[in-house]
Amino acid sequence: MSTVPTSPGGFEVPLWRAIAVFRVASLAYVCVVALRHADRYAHPLAAAAVVLVMAAWTVVTALGYARPSRRGWPLLLADLGVVLGVVLATPWVVGRAALAAGVPTLGVAWLAGPVLAWAVSGGRRRGTVAALVLGAADLATRERIGESSLTGVILLLLAGVVVGHVARLAVTAEERLQRAVELEAATRERERLARDIHDSVLQVLALVQRRGAHLDGEAAELARLAGEQEAALRALIAGAAAPPADDGPADLRALLGRYASPSVSLSAPAGPVPLPAPVARELAAATAAALDNVARHAGGRAWVLVEDEEDTVTVSVRDDGPGFADGRLAEAAAQGRLGVARSIRGRIEELGGTVRITSTPGTGTEVELTVPRQRT
Amino acid sequence: MARVMVVDDHPMWREGVARDLTEAGHEVVATAGEGRQAVRVAPAARPDVVVLDLQLPDVSGVEVIRGLRAALPEVRVLMLSASGEQQDVLDAVKAGATGYLVKSAAPAEFLDAVRRTAAGEPVFTPGLAGLVLGEYRRLAAGPPAPDPEAAGTPRLTDRETEVLRLVAKGMSYKQIAERLAISHRTVQNHVQNTLGKLQLHNRVELTRYAIERGLDD
Repeated sequence: MSTVPTSPGGFEVPLWRAIAVFRVASLAYVCVVALRHADRYAHPLAAAAVVLVMAAWTVVTALGYARPSRRGWPLLLADLGVVLGVVLATPWVVGRAALAAGVPTLGVAWLAGPVLAWAVSGGRRRGTVAALVLGAADLATRERIGESSLTGVILLLLAGVVVGHVARLAVTAEERLQRAVELEAATRERERLARDIHDSVLQVLALVQRRGAHLDGEAAELARLAGEQEAALRALIAGAAAPPADDGPADLRALLGRYASPSVSLSAPAGPVPLPAPVARELAAATAAALDNVARHAGGRAWVLVEDEEDTVTVSVRDDGPGFADGRLAEAAAQGRLGVARSIRGRIEELGGTVRITSTPGTGTEVELTVPRQRT
Repeated sequence: MARVMVVDDHPMWREGVARDLTEAGHEVVATAGEGRQAVRVAPAARPDVVVLDLQLPDVSGVEVIRGLRAALPEVRVLMLSASGEQQDVLDAVKAGATGYLVKSAAPAEFLDAVRRTAAGEPVFTPGLAGLVLGEYRRLAAGPPAPDPEAAGTPRLTDRETEVLRLVAKGMSYKQIAERLAISHRTVQNHVQNTLGKLQLHNRVELTRYAIERGLDD
């Protein structure tokens, strides 16, 4: 993995180099064409000067575009301007009569340089703009618009679009790779930490709790505290997945993992429970509200079960509080004992889900939150 | 009282657990700090129950369970884990462990789990029930078995699913029996069946894999 370019713009470097090579090669072609037709030019000396300018500009752009910091608007605009100048000078240098008789323009393929540069720097749209400007100038300088000159403009346009598209792809691919590399590094680091913590801290905390449980007074209190920390740390290791991206899928298990504690048991499948991040966040918030209610009214002991079914994801929260008899749920809600039920219901119904609250005296109350799984 | 073997790489933990077991009247027939050592001494020690820490320094818990069951087919394995219910716990259950407890469980809870494991009862935490439920759903959602004549994908009956869900929500077997108006024994049988089917499926899969790879001889 060490060969993967990790600096931004890594994938663009070969593209810029390819453009420089293209400019040099097309300049060589320009020279060949100019030498072959020099005797038919209206102003041969001016033609030589223009070719020299083209050669100088090829060197300037090759050096200029090599540095990412210089690939801004000044150079891009200057590039387009210089080439535009060559296009506009052509009718006078070559002569309108010669052009009409079939003598090639001075720029020929060299004109495509700025189109490629614009496309690589800013994608399809910029490539198209540059191609249209140069193409329009080229057509405007001709007295008669023949099929071959039209073909040249179309080719210029296509080059702008295609190269722009490819450049965009390269940038996106690089960003994705970068993110994947970061994620992998984070995951590996977390696993290493988890192993370390497991081998040392968790074992000792569990041991302290175990031995201290036989003792009285302060020692027993210390043991209880050690036990709480052990459970909290365990939940942290199990649940601390990489933070979910804002729009990507999030693992509901990881989000709920932080609510696990000595008094809150979390049961879930072994694998991740992926949901769109906003849905997972809302469902986790609703679960937290339900747990809050348990802590306030039902003694605090709670069991959370996450079920990942084909079309739905269900989170159940059960407590072992006093519970209610049938028909007394509404009354309890009125007394404020299920005050958060409304906010839970609001959140879940917004997601197109359902909330079911059941209760029997003696076995506590159960809140079941079900949301549909969106197909992607 | 049961003959118990304790496998854990932490010496203090090993001694503490052994002391608790002895005080409760069990016979600690062997202790081991590594998986390979455990598999080696098990045939001579002949324990009824092996209390096994899932995270050992040398080999995985699954390998230890396979080795133990190959040497002593009747042995019952109660797993302990410090890091919570995850894939390794599920793998251990599929390999044949019948009980699971987190290390932070109270000593009384632990002794009760050893007694029940020795008696052949499955010992589930709510977390383990959630893992098993998830595993059945994963298997059901996966591609169908290539050979429909074979054991096929194990499925839970509606009643088994119901029982497992209640276990996962922290209800005791007694509470579940009352809620569903069935006997305590029936609840236990349902839980046991859910494990049995997973373990059978796992063995069939392993055999099929071995045959495909030409390792069956």
